[in-house]
Amino acid sequence: MAKALIHEKEDNVGVLISDTKQGEEVEVFYIADKNPLTKVVSQDSIPLGHKIALRDIKQGEEVIKYGRIIGVATKDIKRGEHVHTHNLRSKRWSFPLRR
Amino acid sequence: MNPTIKGYIRENGSVGVRNYVAVIPVDDLSNTAAVGVSKLIRGTVALPHPYGRLQFGSDLDLLFHILSGTGANPNISAAIVIGIEDNWTNKVADKIAETGKPVAAFSIEGYGDLKTINRASEKAKEFVQISSEKQRTEVDLSSLVASIKCGESDTTSGAASNPATGYAVDKLIDYGSTVMFGETSELTGAEDIVASRISTQELREKFWKIFKEYTNIIESQGVDLLGSQPTEGNIKGGLTTIEEKALGNIQKLGTKPITCVLDYLDPLPQGKSRLCFVNTSSAAAEAVTLFAAKGSVLHLFTTGQGNIVGHPIIPVVKISANPKTISTMKEHIDVDVSDLLGLKIDLREAGERVFEYAIRTANGRLTASEILQHDEFSPIKLYVSA
Repeated sequence: MAKALIHEKEDNVGVLISDTKQGEEVEVFYIADKNPLTKVVSQDSIPLGHKIALRDIKQGEEVIKYGRIIGVATKDIKRGEHVHTHNLRSKRWSFPLRR
Repeated sequence: MNPTIKGYIRENGSVGVRNYVAVIPVDDLSNTAAVGVSKLIRGTVALPHPYGRLQFGSDLDLLFHILSGTGANPNISAAIVIGIEDNWTNKVADKIAETGKPVAAFSIEGYGDLKTINRASEKAKEFVQISSEKQRTEVDLSSLVASIKCGESDTTSGAASNPATGYAVDKLIDYGSTVMFGETSELTGAEDIVASRISTQELREKFWKIFKEYTNIIESQGVDLLGSQPTEGNIKGGLTTIEEKALGNIQKLGTKPITCVLDYLDPLPQGKSRLCFVNTSSAAAEAVTLFAAKGSVLHLFTTGQGNIVGHPIIPVVKISANPKTISTMKEHIDVDVSDLLGLKIDLREAGERVFEYAIRTANGRLTASEILQHDEFSPIKLYVSA
């Protein structure tokens, strides 16, 4: 089974610590105590180090990692999908600047 | 009792962990002569760079700060300074001489390269012989000045190699050492966390001013930064946004209060147990070059995708938690903390690996970057020349 880490319990994405195939089950561990928290089925083949959605995230919703906002979903993301530049953008340095 | 390292105590009491004679060109035109001396005289290190002509204002001040600061670095036992003309050459040499170490200045106009190389080489030979009799002695770890930076980071940096380095940073500061960090632009998304750790209101305001000035320059270009920040390597490694990168970046800062905030030209103040923010570029070689110019003698560098940076006069310890990078680029990696990413060891064990390696490096063990001759010397240039 593939493994992923989450930094904080409110995070809606995890980090894969092994390459993961589409359809593979991923066990998600909490980084602080190494305990398993949940399992998710990967909807994509996702490389080590890349992010996986731990729940459905709607377009325009904030993506949370380290318990903090790391950007905004640019399309609806389903639980288990790969989260990266194709569906997540910075709130700070996207062009045009949003502030 | 505090741990000790075996270092070189310099004339002004500062402690080095390497013992080189530097040959410093003041300008691009003088690189040939400086490199010429280093090829003739064993034990010398030339620091060629592309700048030094027609710079002005704070940009020129920063170049002088970097050149003289590098010469003054405690890893340098003596320095040769070579420039095209006398005035700027003496300016750099005189600043280095304030440390009390042997310094000699040579200018090329009126002599040409060949006579300059001859004159400078004779002096360099004398300096190397003096330097060769310097001995390492036991000194308290509190005399160590180090720096930290990450490069070609990925999510494994924020999850493992940076927290492990943060553990080592905490331990160094507990023992009285000084640690510098920077990467001003790469704090974007975590800058409030950094600001909240700064010890006084005055320093906090100084940090905010530096941070805003830097990010205003970036944002004023009005361009999409994807590919630059995060870099293409960051993106390949799974980092998507600057906020995510910054939150991973700050994991290496440990937990201590930030007790000094230094802009480009500010010298490192005297003191112990300091965690210092330094306004730097986030480009690896530029940041390491500025840290060394401010007195860092040893750098801890975390990488995910495999940044291979080094520096000509300070050891750069490469730390990674990415098992693919450690396997494919193993000759560049000094400390493997992939077991932390893989949930096989705890943070303490990984952090102790980093700390122990830092001590061994300070005591003389050569790093991968030193053996592989990664001698990047990259002064930051602020704006166009006149």
